[in-house]
Amino acid sequence: MTSGTSTPSRRFNTDRWRATPGPFKVGAVILAAHALFAIIGAVWTPYGFAEMGAGLPLSGISWDHPMGLDQIGRDVFSRFMHGAHIVLLLSFAGTILGMVAGTALGLLSGYVGGWFDAVTQRVVEAMISIPFLALALVMIIAAGPALAGAPVLIVFVVGLVYAPRITRIARAAAMEIATREYVAVAELRGEGTWSIVFREILPNAANVLLVEFSLRLSYAPILIGALGFLGFGIRPPTPEWGLMISENRNLLIASPVTVFGPGLGLASLVIGFNLFTDGLSRMLGQRPVAGA
Amino acid sequence: MKKLIEVRNLNIAYGGTAGWTNVVQGVSFEIARGEAFGLVGESGCGKSTVAYRLLGYGTINSLVQTGEVLFDGTDLLKLDAAALTRLRGKRIALVPQNPTTSLSPGMRVGAQIREMIATHKALPEDMAMETRIVELFALVGLPDVGHRYPHELSGGQQQRVTIAMAVACNPDLLVLDEPTTGLDVTTQRQIVQLLADLRVRIGMAMLYVTHDLALLAQIADRVGVMYAGQLVEVAPCEKLLSAPAHPYSRGLIASIPTIDGAARPGRGLRGVLRRDQISTGCKFEPRCDFATTACRTTPQTLEPVAEARAVACMRWREAVAPHFPVLVKRGEEKTAEAPARLLSVANLSLSYTRPGLFDRLLDRASPAVVRDIDLDLRTGEVLALVGESGSGKSTIARAISGRLPPGAGIIRLDGTALAPALKDRSVEELRQIQYIFQNPDASLNPRRRIRAILARPIDHFGIEVDEKALETVLDNVGLHAGYLDRFPEQLSGGERQRIAIARALLVNPKLLICDEILSALDVSVQARIVELLRALKEKHAVAMLFISHDLAVVQEFADRVAVLYHGELMQLADTATLLSKPLHPYTEMLLEAAPGLRKDHYVSRPPSAPNSMAAPGVGCPLAGRCPRQIGSLCADTRPPIQTTVNGFIRCHLTTGNLATGASPANRNDHPRQSRSVS
Repeated sequence: MTSGTSTPSRRFNTDRWRATPGPFKVGAVILAAHALFAIIGAVWTPYGFAEMGAGLPLSGISWDHPMGLDQIGRDVFSRFMHGAHIVLLLSFAGTILGMVAGTALGLLSGYVGGWFDAVTQRVVEAMISIPFLALALVMIIAAGPALAGAPVLIVFVVGLVYAPRITRIARAAAMEIATREYVAVAELRGEGTWSIVFREILPNAANVLLVEFSLRLSYAPILIGALGFLGFGIRPPTPEWGLMISENRNLLIASPVTVFGPGLGLASLVIGFNLFTDGLSRMLGQRPVAGA
Repeated sequence: MKKLIEVRNLNIAYGGTAGWTNVVQGVSFEIARGEAFGLVGESGCGKSTVAYRLLGYGTINSLVQTGEVLFDGTDLLKLDAAALTRLRGKRIALVPQNPTTSLSPGMRVGAQIREMIATHKALPEDMAMETRIVELFALVGLPDVGHRYPHELSGGQQQRVTIAMAVACNPDLLVLDEPTTGLDVTTQRQIVQLLADLRVRIGMAMLYVTHDLALLAQIADRVGVMYAGQLVEVAPCEKLLSAPAHPYSRGLIASIPTIDGAARPGRGLRGVLRRDQISTGCKFEPRCDFATTACRTTPQTLEPVAEARAVACMRWREAVAPHFPVLVKRGEEKTAEAPARLLSVANLSLSYTRPGLFDRLLDRASPAVVRDIDLDLRTGEVLALVGESGSGKSTIARAISGRLPPGAGIIRLDGTALAPALKDRSVEELRQIQYIFQNPDASLNPRRRIRAILARPIDHFGIEVDEKALETVLDNVGLHAGYLDRFPEQLSGGERQRIAIARALLVNPKLLICDEILSALDVSVQARIVELLRALKEKHAVAMLFISHDLAVVQEFADRVAVLYHGELMQLADTATLLSKPLHPYTEMLLEAAPGLRKDHYVSRPPSAPNSMAAPGVGCPLAGRCPRQIGSLCADTRPPIQTTVNGFIRCHLTTGNLATGASPANRNDHPRQSRSVS
């Protein structure tokens, strides 16, 4: 939202930060912490994330092992750290894929209308009517065992689950913008459909789409976590948080802290995204579309 | 006279944590019982803020800093919400700007009036509620429409309902916030006439807020001119219009186009009101022709200068000049008829619904919005298309531009027939016809800089230009290169419309379609855009199809005028001929309704056969409304086209009869009702 005013002074930036809504600040801080943690975790962890025998299995919390050790003696904190960037990367990649596909299809569908819109919307509705987890599982099973557990598959699944929902939002925005006179001006100039969609409509739908993007982003870790928990996510021993919860759920009584760590990580990430989205939508004057 | 309401030194600020902006500063005026006070000014001058404060309303982010609003001795600003509620509606009532949004769409209008009376327990002792409501409808000239929903009424009727609602409790003061702005010129005059009539009958005082001085001339006793939150002049209406004292009032009056084409001394206003450029002294100083250095630093306050007259200008004596509208017709700059016929429209019919399969099988035609239009436009000529809302003006423009494929008829540009649909037209044809939209806020992409907005058509049409082209075109429309890197939202309405004009001009079109391009703008801005268009017409020899509902604007620079009513051309004539000898009854109605700058005692002529309406496509569309209708002939047969000197007329009456004002049949059966307007 860089609109014209580009005075590059520090005071301006801090003023701007102060003027942002509270949820935005809190969310941004949480997300920044997550990003930092993920970067550190990607390059350095106290123990190897798959290193067995880092200590006595199930020995509980200590200064050396702040999240304890799992059944086969791996340091849970190290796995947690390493898993952070995996969750973030998968969420971002999946959401971006869904966003690109959904936006392109939705804007076209909303602007072009007619039978193209009708066909697209029936397909989209069919996809939305299937519960997202069921849809994801069907897709993973259809992909076959060769691809099972591959990050690319997870990204595709997230993208495909999200695309129809984003399509609806983009379509609604495009239909509204298509009635504006500057679109008529472009039509009178004889501009092509793509040119109108990307030059005239997309920039004006950007606010809606940005809010939608960050809202989708907040759900992505849950979806990925759920897939991991069910065993359809990333292939072990890569420590994805959902997978970690799944692996250690039998230890909930013996050593509960091994589950709490990844659980809290997921929760704080989702809360962070949600607060950030809430603040962002308030700043842009858009209401987030709940549900979908 | 006893004062009914007195505003003393009112200061209102808008804002919030970021700081406060003074929107209204030191406004003081009073309204006597039964007096009509007008408040006039350009948009953003604070007139509506003042009006709503009189009703005790303020927005969340507004703050009354100082001042008093004394209504019958009580200060409205100090009253609590409950006391205000008792007062509002009962003693002070509002007539809102837009009746369509002010009436609840899901409630019958009778019930809405009943609600008003019931809330304030304002039913006269010996009267039943239903009788009272019918009486109120009769008062505002409506039949008993109480059982109707708002959408079943026309805009003018809706406004009458809101007026009925406002006067339901016999208020002492009626606050009117631009009550006729959204209405057609004929309806507008009827409403104003009604208000004047009501004032006489009920004896209430009125505060009439508007930007339209000509309209105020018809109704107000005294007028306050506001600029940048201050009253700059208060004067009796006739005095103000004949001899405005403040330079701003002078400019405002000079900006108003009038039908009579009077050349007024003094020129229109320059610049726009920008609150960020206001000097510490006189607020009008940056735009004033009489400003001196002293003006910049000396704040001006309202000083009484004569009987019932006050001016906030220290140089008003120099600024004021005896000012009488002189009827000087503009030079008839008729050159030899240009031979080249640029655009010709033949036999054009349009409808919004395409015939479906069933309709085609049953050979049914879908109802036409526009019927049998024949027009032609020569190179460099300005043809105005005039009519009320819903008459099909914009629909014709859409068809010419290709956005609406016609049902029948041919549109030719330079002799070659244009394809009906936009996508079948060649790039060259698209370039030659440029369209300028009514609302400049919507016709410029808000996410693109002016540079991108202007450069896109050049790229698209592959026009060879030097790099100075954008600067040149901005210069042509009275802007400068500094605008190139701005976004549309950083420009004022008038500047945006200039950008839209510049964008159209950049590609050297042969035909400009201007679709109500002035109606969203302030009167002073309008005057300057008209000036610009006139200059462009002379310089570029571009033909224009100028669509407007405002005959006064049209006479400023159109060569010919086509009058449209309900999708049919009623008359086509030279501007001068049309204004001096309108001939056609509908044109006469339009001309009579347009307000002049003097009280003109307008009386609308009643239709001669109000119940004899024509079915669409049969008879004359004006039947049932025409004051000179000839019995049922008009409703049953299509009027013939009669050629006149420089155009045509579609009417059953012969041109000879029209000119003498005689009607062959039963003219005396319907004596003209004359209601006094005073």
